[in-house]
Amino acid sequence: MSHMKNTMYLSCVLSLLIWVNYFFIHQEIIFVLLFSVLFILLVVLTSQISKFISSSIEPKNGDTMSVVDNELIHSVIFELQQFIHQEVTIVENELQRTKVIVSDAVTGISDSFKHLQSLSEDQQQMIKLLISHSSSMGDDNNSSLDSFVTDSNKTLDDFVGVIINTSKQSLETMIYTDEMVIQFDSIFKLLSQVEGLASQTNLLALNAAIEAARAGEAGRGFAVVANEVRNLSVGSTELNEDIRTEINKAKEIIAKLRNSVEIMASADMTSTLEAKDKMSVMMSHVEQVNIQTTTSVEELAIIAPQITNAVSLGVRSLQFEDLTRQSLESLQVNVSSLHEISDVLATFDKQPNIAIHQQLIKLKETCQQVYRETQQAEDSRSVKQLNMDEGEIDLF
Amino acid sequence: MAVSSRLSGDDKELVIRIDERFDFSLHQQFRDTYNSITIRDLTYTLDLSQTEYMDSSALGMILLLKDHVELYAGKLIISRPSETVRKILEIAQFQRLMTIE
Repeated sequence: MSHMKNTMYLSCVLSLLIWVNYFFIHQEIIFVLLFSVLFILLVVLTSQISKFISSSIEPKNGDTMSVVDNELIHSVIFELQQFIHQEVTIVENELQRTKVIVSDAVTGISDSFKHLQSLSEDQQQMIKLLISHSSSMGDDNNSSLDSFVTDSNKTLDDFVGVIINTSKQSLETMIYTDEMVIQFDSIFKLLSQVEGLASQTNLLALNAAIEAARAGEAGRGFAVVANEVRNLSVGSTELNEDIRTEINKAKEIIAKLRNSVEIMASADMTSTLEAKDKMSVMMSHVEQVNIQTTTSVEELAIIAPQITNAVSLGVRSLQFEDLTRQSLESLQVNVSSLHEISDVLATFDKQPNIAIHQQLIKLKETCQQVYRETQQAEDSRSVKQLNMDEGEIDLF
Repeated sequence: MAVSSRLSGDDKELVIRIDERFDFSLHQQFRDTYNSITIRDLTYTLDLSQTEYMDSSALGMILLLKDHVELYAGKLIISRPSETVRKILEIAQFQRLMTIE
C-alpha cells in the first residue's frame, strides 16, 4: 500500500516538474525524460493497483462464506417447505370437508324440495276431491246442494199451491153443502105438508068411521075401509117421522162434514212462512258457499303453479352445488400445484450433494411448468363456468 | 162486523174490507158480499189494511172471489196488506194473479 502511495506522490512530483519545464525552462530533453519516467511510474502503479484489487476481492468470495449461505438457504427452504406443506394440507382437508358438507346439504335440500312438491300435489288432489264431493251429492243426476235447495224451494211452492187449491175446493164443497142443507130444509117443508095431508086423512078416516057406525049394519063394510084408511094415515105419519129422523141424521153428518171441510180448508200458513224464510236463508247461504268455493278453487289454481315454480327455482338454484364443486375441484388442482412445488423444495434437504445451482434451476422450471398448467386450467375453467340463471335444468 | 162491503155510487168499485182475522169463519159472510153482484167491468178492491192474520182458507176465498170477478170481466185489487199478510200472498204467488198495492 505504501509503495503505491509513494509511486503516486512521485508521479505527482514528476507531473509538476513537467509543467514547470513547460512553462519556465522549455527544455525538450527534460520534458521527454520526465515524461518517460512518469509513464514508467504510471505503468508500475497500474500493475500495482490491479494486483491489489484482485488480492482484495478474492479472499471475500472464499470457501467459508459459500458454506454458510448454502446452509441458510437449505434451512430456509426446509422451513418454507414445511410451512407450505402444512398450510396446503390444511387447505386441502378443508376443501374436502366443504365438498362433502355442500354435497350432503344439497342432497338433503333437493330431497326435501321433491318431497315438498309431491306433498303439494297430493294436497291439490285432496282439495279438488273435497270440492267435487261438496258440490255434488254423489248421485248420478249430478245434483248439487244448489239444485237441491232450488228443488226444495219449488216443492215448497208446489205444496203451498196444493194447500191453497185444497182450501178453494173445500170452500166450494162448503158452498155445495150449504146448498144441500137448504135443499134438506125444503124437504122438511114438503114433509110437513105430507104430515098435514096424513093428519087430514086421519081426520077424514075418523069421520068416515063415525058416519059408517051411524049407518049401522049397512056401513059395516065402509067402517072397515075407513079403519084401513086411518091405519094408512097413521103409517104414513110414522113414515114421515122416520124420514125426518133420517134426514136429521143426515144433517148431523153434514155438520160433521162442515167441520172436516173447515179443518181441511183452514191450514195455518205460519209454519209455511217460516219454512219459506229458512229456505231463502239457505238459498243465499248456498250461493255464498258456491261463490267462496269458486274463489278458493281459483286461488288454488293460481297457487299450485306458483308452488311448482318456487320448487323449480329452488331446484335450479341447487345447481350452485355443481358450480361450487367445480370451483373446489379446481382449487384442489391449485393446491396440488403447491404440493408439487413443495415436493421440489423437499428435495433440497434430501439431496444436499446436488449442487444448489441445479436445484434452483429445477425449482424454477417446475415453477414455470406449474404456472403454465394453472394458467391453462384457469382459461378452460372460465369457459366452463356458467351463470346459474342460464341453466334450465328441471329435475322433475 | 168482520166483513164489510161498500159499492160506490157510480157502480164502478166494490170495496170489501176485512177485520183482524181472515179465516174460515168468514167464508159465508165473505161470499155474501159479492155473490149477488153481477155488474160487469166492476173493480173489486179487497182492503186488507186491518187484517193481521190470514190462513189458507182466506187464500181459497180470494181465489173464489177471483173466479167470480173473472166471470163478470171485472178486476181484482188487493189493497194495503200488512207485512205478514203480504208475505203470505207472495208465498202463494198471488202477485202473479192479481194486483197487490
